[in-house]
Amino acid sequence: MITGVAESNDGMFAEFLDDFFAECEEHLTSIRRTLLALEPSIAQPRLSRDLLNELFRGFHSLKGLAGMVGVAEVEQLAHHLESYLRALQQEQLRLTAEGFDALIVGTQLLEQLVVARRTHAALPPTEPALARLAALVTELAPPLAPTTISAASSSASVAPFSSEEQAKLAAASTRGDQVWLVTFIPTPELAKRDINVNNIRGRLQQIGALISAAPRILSAGGVAFDFVVASHTDETTFAAWQQDGLTYAPYQPVAPAHTILEISPPLAPAMMIAPSNVVRVDLSRLDELMQLVGALVVSRSRLTDQLAALEPLVPVAEWRVLQETTLALERQLRDLRTGVMRVRMVPISDLFARMQFVVRDLARDLHKQITLDLHGQDTEIDKFVVERMLDPLLHLIRNAVSHGLETPEQRLACGKPSAGVIKLRATTTGDLVTINIEDDGRGIDPQQIESRARALGLLAGDALLDPAQILHVLCAPGFSTREQADHISGRGVGMDVVAKTVRELGGTLMLETQAGSGTRFTVQLPLTLAIMDALIVQAGGQTFAVPLPVVREVIRIQPERISVIEQNELLLYRGQPLPLIRLARRFGLVETTQDAGFAFIIGSGRTTVGVAVERFLGKREIVVRPLNDPLTHVAGIAAATELGDGSVVLILDTPALMRSI
Amino acid sequence: MHSILVVDDSATMRRMVIASLRLLPNIHCSEASTGLEAIERLALAPVDLLILDLNMPDMHGIEVLQFVRRHERYQALPVLVLTTRGDHESRAMMLAAGASQYITKPFTPQLLAAEVSMLLDG
Repeated sequence: MITGVAESNDGMFAEFLDDFFAECEEHLTSIRRTLLALEPSIAQPRLSRDLLNELFRGFHSLKGLAGMVGVAEVEQLAHHLESYLRALQQEQLRLTAEGFDALIVGTQLLEQLVVARRTHAALPPTEPALARLAALVTELAPPLAPTTISAASSSASVAPFSSEEQAKLAAASTRGDQVWLVTFIPTPELAKRDINVNNIRGRLQQIGALISAAPRILSAGGVAFDFVVASHTDETTFAAWQQDGLTYAPYQPVAPAHTILEISPPLAPAMMIAPSNVVRVDLSRLDELMQLVGALVVSRSRLTDQLAALEPLVPVAEWRVLQETTLALERQLRDLRTGVMRVRMVPISDLFARMQFVVRDLARDLHKQITLDLHGQDTEIDKFVVERMLDPLLHLIRNAVSHGLETPEQRLACGKPSAGVIKLRATTTGDLVTINIEDDGRGIDPQQIESRARALGLLAGDALLDPAQILHVLCAPGFSTREQADHISGRGVGMDVVAKTVRELGGTLMLETQAGSGTRFTVQLPLTLAIMDALIVQAGGQTFAVPLPVVREVIRIQPERISVIEQNELLLYRGQPLPLIRLARRFGLVETTQDAGFAFIIGSGRTTVGVAVERFLGKREIVVRPLNDPLTHVAGIAAATELGDGSVVLILDTPALMRSI
Repeated sequence: MHSILVVDDSATMRRMVIASLRLLPNIHCSEASTGLEAIERLALAPVDLLILDLNMPDMHGIEVLQFVRRHERYQALPVLVLTTRGDHESRAMMLAAGASQYITKPFTPQLLAAEVSMLLDG
């Protein structure tokens, strides 16, 4: 259904719909971030003008664009949101909790409208949100006459500061920053070297806080840009930039006597947003690029093998030269691969901002008090991985709020503070990103899980479940501890989808829980999917690749360290008995040697296992080729790869191996 | 050949404006995403017409307009201001600040092209 497409422009700008959707996503991300920054100011007498302006501009841009492409609902809703913000900007209204909530609900509805329009789904109704926003501004007196706009910077000296800018200056001096006046005069020569006002502003934002930026007419007729920047770097940084057309001096505040006549603040105080040196790229083009790099990796690996075959035939001196060149090629290829990978990386902060939104909403709906504690928002992760993980993470968060955390009364009754804490943490170690979702709620009751699992026939035997088994049961399709899925946790995906997505991304999902004190889910994901380092192993005459990031250690098995209990082999490893999986037997292959051979250790804590193989063939960079055909899907095999000699090798699904114990 | 500088913080909007101007012959467009960048481009290479959005970060369109008008060299430069429905900057106010013409988004490509053509001929 494509209702609401105004044909006023006869679809003139319909070709820009994709651009519109992409830009909507950017604006909504920035709006969400700004709203969260604004939340502490509810009911405060003064709001940050920077934040209000940024928010206003976000809605305003959405409105303008939506009008152009004829998406009337978005235009109308953005217009209402903008009207409320204008009343706040002009201090006709104070930001109330009710008003803030209307902004949040409105923003979420905007997003739903954009998604529905993009996917040709039915549009959600907008009337309630419109009516709510209209009611907020309806009690207002007729709008004030438009504020006159003060003259911007005078042509001779740096403009006096607005109160917002003065606050930034004061904050800088509290931090002990030095304040500098940096002047940039653009020239065609500098422009050719890509040194321009946006680039200079970007540099200054990197080294400190930009307080103001204004153009000035030079007496000779040219233009100069004056930046006032507070920074803790010393002047050697600026000195190095002199060749780029910059001059600098410690900033001398304009004497108050000169500013008295110009104290009215400008309508839109200078807002320092990072210059848009950003290029939007379709993810599929990056995939293509990654595939090309992948093909190069395979070719280089082939080259290495072929060269190795030539070694005896080439004189030593020539061989050495050849060797150096291939090593350089290898390094450059690795750099190229890292470079392409970095292009795909986005900070996880946007994902986290969405979580803040959700938690806020749920807390209100379920009458719970929640503090959301975020760590590692700068952690970068593959864009594709982020998008796939959005719904699973939302599900884990919703679970934590609706099942994990108790109500304030229940918490007080068990001697806990009334507000529950949810910790969301992201860290990078090596080639892995770890995301933790932790709550200090009631924990998961193994008995409850067990009885339900038995009722559903998911469980036989009567052993008490450990966390790994609880997780396994929770992730079984169709399992839910609520008799009926409530509208909070039951929406969207279930735990089975969480587990499936993590598995498909080559990651692992872990659970720790303590009755009465909380639950922690840990998601570990590879930084990137397409190319990885792998350990090449041989078992039962077959070659396999093991993703190197999951391998903790490689050991030689000493036969006296193996004991057998109920037909299961246990390996004594660092004083602990570990389950030992024989890879050849696992896949029904015939072991080619009776030697105890070697093992690699994977997993952590109680899920640690040793995997016995016959030989290690070395470490290789491999290009992952997914096995999409369900008929070729084998438990324990994640994907395939091609080695330099053209042979196809299967990549082990290590999480599945760990689960098989 | 007429040279036009399109100033808007939205890349999509700039592309829409430039697509509309393709209706006219002999037009060369350059773009700026911020007010400061617009002023820099003007200083480095003269243009025949400025198309200016109002609500931009770092420098409001009106501030750009006021700056341009204060500079002797650009006093005669035609400036077409693009506003969005509901902007409270009135037509009179924009014209007083020195705008040569004033169009409200959403606009049709034909309207924009016609106004630009008139400003370039005038």
